Amino acid sequence: MKKVIVENLKYRYPAMKQLALDEISFEVEEGEKIGVIGRNSSGKSTLCQALVGLTPHFYKGTYGGRVIVDGLEIKHATVSEAALKVGIVFQNPFTQVTGAKLTVYEEVAFGLENMGLSRAEMIEKVDRALHLLNIYPFRNQNPFSLSGGQMQRMAIAGIIAMRPSIIVLDEPTSQLDPQGTEEVFSAMDELSAEGMTVVIVEHKMEKVAQYCDKILVMKDGKRAAFDTPAKVFSRDDLSELGVCAPVYTNICKALGKKEGAYYPVTLAGAARVLGARR
Amino acid sequence: MKSLSLYVERDSFIHRVDPITKLFYIFAAIIVPFVMKDLTVSIVCAAVSLILLAVGKVLRNAITVFACLFLIMITIFLIQALANINNATVVFSISGIHFYAEGMINGVKIIMRMTDMVAAFLILILTTKPSDLVEDLIRAGFSPRIGYVIMSIFQIVPHMAGAIDVITDAQRARGVETKGSLPVRIKAFLPLLGPVVLNSFMNTKERAMALEVRAFDAKNKKSFLNEAVNFRHAMAYRVLFVLLAVSAVAWRAGGVLL
Ligand SMILES: Nc1ncnc2c1ncn2[C@@H]1O[C@H](COP(=O)(O)OP(=O)(O)OP(=O)(O)O)[C@@H](O)[C@H]1O
Ligand SMILES: [Mg+2]
Repeated sequence: MKKVIVENLKYRYPAMKQLALDEISFEVEEGEKIGVIGRNSSGKSTLCQALVGLTPHFYKGTYGGRVIVDGLEIKHATVSEAALKVGIVFQNPFTQVTGAKLTVYEEVAFGLENMGLSRAEMIEKVDRALHLLNIYPFRNQNPFSLSGGQMQRMAIAGIIAMRPSIIVLDEPTSQLDPQGTEEVFSAMDELSAEGMTVVIVEHKMEKVAQYCDKILVMKDGKRAAFDTPAKVFSRDDLSELGVCAPVYTNICKALGKKEGAYYPVTLAGAARVLGARR
Repeated sequence: MKSLSLYVERDSFIHRVDPITKLFYIFAAIIVPFVMKDLTVSIVCAAVSLILLAVGKVLRNAITVFACLFLIMITIFLIQALANINNATVVFSISGIHFYAEGMINGVKIIMRMTDMVAAFLILILTTKPSDLVEDLIRAGFSPRIGYVIMSIFQIVPHMAGAIDVITDAQRARGVETKGSLPVRIKAFLPLLGPVVLNSFMNTKERAMALEVRAFDAKNKKSFLNEAVNFRHAMAYRVLFVLLAVSAVAWRAGGVLL
């Protein structure tokens, strides 16, 4: 079942001349994990905001095309309605702290209170989210006392707890150490195995290659590629797209080692290809 | 982190009373002495409020607040004792300055009402978590938006104070004089307002979006993670407080009519 349908999506910010999103189309199946990559200012964050309806409901401007998320056409829904189907975690974790709750636990429960869930349901969902992101030990701390990385995990937990069928993450690991990054990706893996659809903007290509089913490459607001990691990273024009392939792929490219028609994109893949020689 | 809340965690009967009933108490504690204008009533009301503070095991915390008010109270008393318009009866004189009975009685009355009012508010503030109060108000139909604003003040003001500390330290590290006389401090403080205020403005839009995507505007009824303070006799107490206030007003109105 198609969970996200984007058709000829166009968008221009009010004061801007050029389009921030230019004729974007793609579809995502239930439970798929999509990585969104591309240069700075290529429109990744704008696309994320369009998936949850912040564009055009929060940011005015010129809007064209359609975004349908879990059967709901975003243009005709309010952000709060859309929020029940699709969750978004923003780039800056600090502005996602509501500022009205005194503990991490209450902070994560905020969305569930707004949804009007029962206390028992809230506790079950918050506990799960806190464990999944490994911040359960900090549950009684003040949200503002957390480090950047812990805050980022709390922001993700706050959205995950709401159990949207689709989750959009905009550079959710920018302040996380390698272990924290790994934990976030494996949490997403677990959720997608349960049927959650994941769209994640990420600059760490090794992680994108390892965890994502497909990659959407953005360039100047346009869709430059939408394909499996192997196909995308095997392209010759990556530097034009502003994309740097995973190290494993680059090593194999340098050695001319393909696995089938494409270069390997993960450590395991590279090991298979390179190890086969010995 | 510093907190704006003055809540003192104790195990007491007063702590178990729900916040709204405490608001009813404040209402009665203000109306009764002000309407009845009687010295004895004022003293009794003040005493009751102070006793309730003691029952709540927070009298000691309240005393710090009263210590701050002490100077104001003394001033009021002196002004009344020396310069009330109704002053007629000299009670005693110190080096030619006369102290009048009418003014002193009025002064005590004012001080007692102040004590009563401040103590009544302190009962609420010292024995209630701000979040419990706000959540109870929202349950009673108060706007969640206003509730959010109130709660965020408790969180964001200390946070801004923290930000000011950080920037002050940074300025000191760059050699800016931040200590010393008042003009020096103001000169060091003004440039801070830029980054701190600007920063919070820029954050506002993003935070508004973050609230929205967490269904803050959803039409359905909200629920609460924390259970309401369940005080069994809340209704009886609330009715009692309203009755006290109403009978004070009735008594006064009757007195005027007669
Ligand atoms: N609020 C806004 N108002 C006007 N223009 C904006 C706004 N936000 C982004 N833009 C513009 O839209 C374009 C796309 O920006 P966007 O933030 O989507 O890029 P991005 O791919 O997320 O970049 P980054 O990797 O830096 O996060 C840029 O040219 C940017 O200047
Ligand atoms: Mg971005």
